[in-house]
Amino acid sequence: MNTTRFMWRSGWITIVVVVVGLFGAWVLLNAVIGGRCDAACVVGSLSQALRLATPIAFAALCGVICERAGVVDIGIEGKMLMSAMTCYAINLFGFQVLKDSMGAEAAGSLSRLLAVGLGMLSALLLAMLHAVVSIRFKVDQIISGTVINILAIGVTGYMYRSFLAENLPAGPGTFPILNIPFLANLPVIGPILFQQKPLTYVMLILMVAVHYVLFFTPWGLRTRAVGEHPRAADTLGINVFRTRYVNVWIGGLVAGLGGAWFTLEAVDVFNPLMTNGLGFIGLAAMIFGKWNPFGALAGALIFGLGSSVTSTVSIFRPDIPSQIPQMLPYILTIIVLTGVVGRAVPPAADGQPYEK
Amino acid sequence: MSVTSESLPASSGGSPSRANLWRALGAWLTRSSVYMPLLAIGTAFVLGGVVIWVTSGSLDTVFLAYEGLLRGALFKSRGLSESLVATIPYIMLSLGIAVGFKAGLFNIGVEGQFYIGAITATWMGASLQGVPAVIHLPLTILAGAAGGALWAAIPAFLKARTGAHEVITTIMMNYIAFRLTEFLISGPFRDPNAAAVQTPRVAPNAELWSFHAIPDRLQDPLNALLVGVVFAGLAFVVARWALPRLARRYPGMGWAGAAQTLGAKAGFAFAVGALAFVLLPALTRLAWPFTDPYDRLHIGLFVALAAAVMVWWLLWKTTVGFELRMVGANPSAARYAGVSITRNILLGMSISGALAGMAGMMEVLGVSICRCLPLFFSSGYGFDAIAISLLAKNNPFGILLSSFLFGAMRNGADLMELNSGVSKYIISLLQALVLLFVAAPPIVRWLYRLRAPAGREESTAVTRGWGGQA
Repeated sequence: MNTTRFMWRSGWITIVVVVVGLFGAWVLLNAVIGGRCDAACVVGSLSQALRLATPIAFAALCGVICERAGVVDIGIEGKMLMSAMTCYAINLFGFQVLKDSMGAEAAGSLSRLLAVGLGMLSALLLAMLHAVVSIRFKVDQIISGTVINILAIGVTGYMYRSFLAENLPAGPGTFPILNIPFLANLPVIGPILFQQKPLTYVMLILMVAVHYVLFFTPWGLRTRAVGEHPRAADTLGINVFRTRYVNVWIGGLVAGLGGAWFTLEAVDVFNPLMTNGLGFIGLAAMIFGKWNPFGALAGALIFGLGSSVTSTVSIFRPDIPSQIPQMLPYILTIIVLTGVVGRAVPPAADGQPYEK
Repeated sequence: MSVTSESLPASSGGSPSRANLWRALGAWLTRSSVYMPLLAIGTAFVLGGVVIWVTSGSLDTVFLAYEGLLRGALFKSRGLSESLVATIPYIMLSLGIAVGFKAGLFNIGVEGQFYIGAITATWMGASLQGVPAVIHLPLTILAGAAGGALWAAIPAFLKARTGAHEVITTIMMNYIAFRLTEFLISGPFRDPNAAAVQTPRVAPNAELWSFHAIPDRLQDPLNALLVGVVFAGLAFVVARWALPRLARRYPGMGWAGAAQTLGAKAGFAFAVGALAFVLLPALTRLAWPFTDPYDRLHIGLFVALAAAVMVWWLLWKTTVGFELRMVGANPSAARYAGVSITRNILLGMSISGALAGMAGMMEVLGVSICRCLPLFFSSGYGFDAIAISLLAKNNPFGILLSSFLFGAMRNGADLMELNSGVSKYIISLLQALVLLFVAAPPIVRWLYRLRAPAGREESTAVTRGWGGQA
């Protein structure tokens, strides 16, 4: 398999799409708002685009990890919702417990970290359920994913109504912006790339890491073999079940990070259904990126860009009905998908239970 | 639960004692096709009860909650009819999803098609005034179906042309549909005379009749004519189905001739239609069981039932349906056999979207209090519908049952919450568990240590991953 060339090709596509997307968005933005978006506003929009792309990228990455091993995961939305709820609750109540023994500042940091960890674990629990049901019991994976989604809506909504809806103490708030030393002061790149909140950095690092693991390590090769032709992989001594289990679990952890974004980076509240379909949009980004991490990132960025342009437009042109620019990210995604990407072919064994 | 003892095979030829009767009953039950679903549903409720018990800390709450759920869904006043009101859109949407699945298409976009169907139907219903129901109502229903079908045809076209995956495009089309309807309702299509942000009211003749209003409606001869036409159509279908069977069963009684001529069937249909036209207005005036003016149950129920039958007929009894299922089951084989993939993608998505659009139409014409489309017309039916069609394994008649289960639970949840303080989100938990256990008989068998049925391998695959690769 000509991995290296494939990687380069997909890398180039990614870069071209991102550059064209950025330029197009910039032109469109200025045309609509009459050139009133100055340099700072453009940089602000791009920075916001990256911020809004973060949960989608996490979701897409979860999808890539699972589906490269041949397990379709439409339960990402549910896992993110679960993790968002857990993170919010742990952050809030952990802070109450910790703040007496240490300063409020330190307690806040610690409870947020604790929240991310437990949020990832809660998503992992759902991922384990998905893994057992779809790998051991060989249930249709779309069904299993739907179960995860509905289950998460039920559990988080129930917990929210029972424990998180009223009489809440003050929480420690979301992660502060983390400036990377030296790099944050670079003229344009600095504010866009290096003045973000921590989970965004985690997402970028994870993208590179997953790409490396998937295409340059034995584990990645095994994963892709299991996703393309499990029977052949099995014949060569690869444990198909174990590979699938571990990938689904890791995917769950990644989706947990995506969930943490909602309540630890975006806002300091939890609402039932707050993930608002971003998990599915992450799936769209994954398919858009043809099951490659960087392609998925490009898909997420396009969507993030659309959203941030939307909010910029509605600030400068309140006379346009807000719904029109709000349609933009979705229309943009469809146009790019049909015009640039074309036919997406999933891993050959994607969605098929393996019978030994 | 002592299910294990029931699963033992019945001893043959014992004396008809009580124990043997039970055993025979048990054996019959374990062999019947409702056994595993019932066991699955029971297990889900038991587990849900455990969750309520653990989180609320008292066993009484569990019984209080389930009692409230049951009473709210069935026995309180208007309980059953409200459950049916919620069942109707579920049926239509999950039929839509099932048609998609059967054609190898994963239509996540039913929610968006629902909205577009609602808005096109409202437009058709509100823009014509004073047109008799016999023309206006079918036209409005068609408008809803056409809106949904067109909205679904866009992703289908993109898939057929460029290979863009329908899962992405339908999700995107969902959000576009939400914003578009919001924009239309608050802007160009807003009712200038209403205080609330909503569309104009649809004409009375375009409404789907509530059950309690049927006697009044039938006093208008044109409405009675509509009913007569519907009855005639039904009679024609029945005659077409029954006459050849009668001819085969009782040859030589002239049936064969009647079965082959159009005249006999048409005559029968005309007679039934005319009878309905003449008699029904008077009969419903005399005695009519639905008198509660706040009852929201509407004749969309019949539309939904008819849709289920028609989907079944289309998919399993026609060439068109056979081709759809063929493309869904094995696109390469279908193409090899000369079946057009493009045509079937377009057709499958359009039918799917038409059914979803009709669901939106019915919510406006039959349920919405203002008989219009208000700004925040949220349904949340779409994702439940995916679960329902999976639960029914894409079988139209199974969809009727599972839609009712979901509709009843959705409706009963309010009284449950009021009764016991248990949040109604527990319903989602129950639904997820039901779906899980029904979809995975191995899990239920593993839970109760049941043996797998010999010889009959249960297939749980109802979807094909990301759908057919065209």
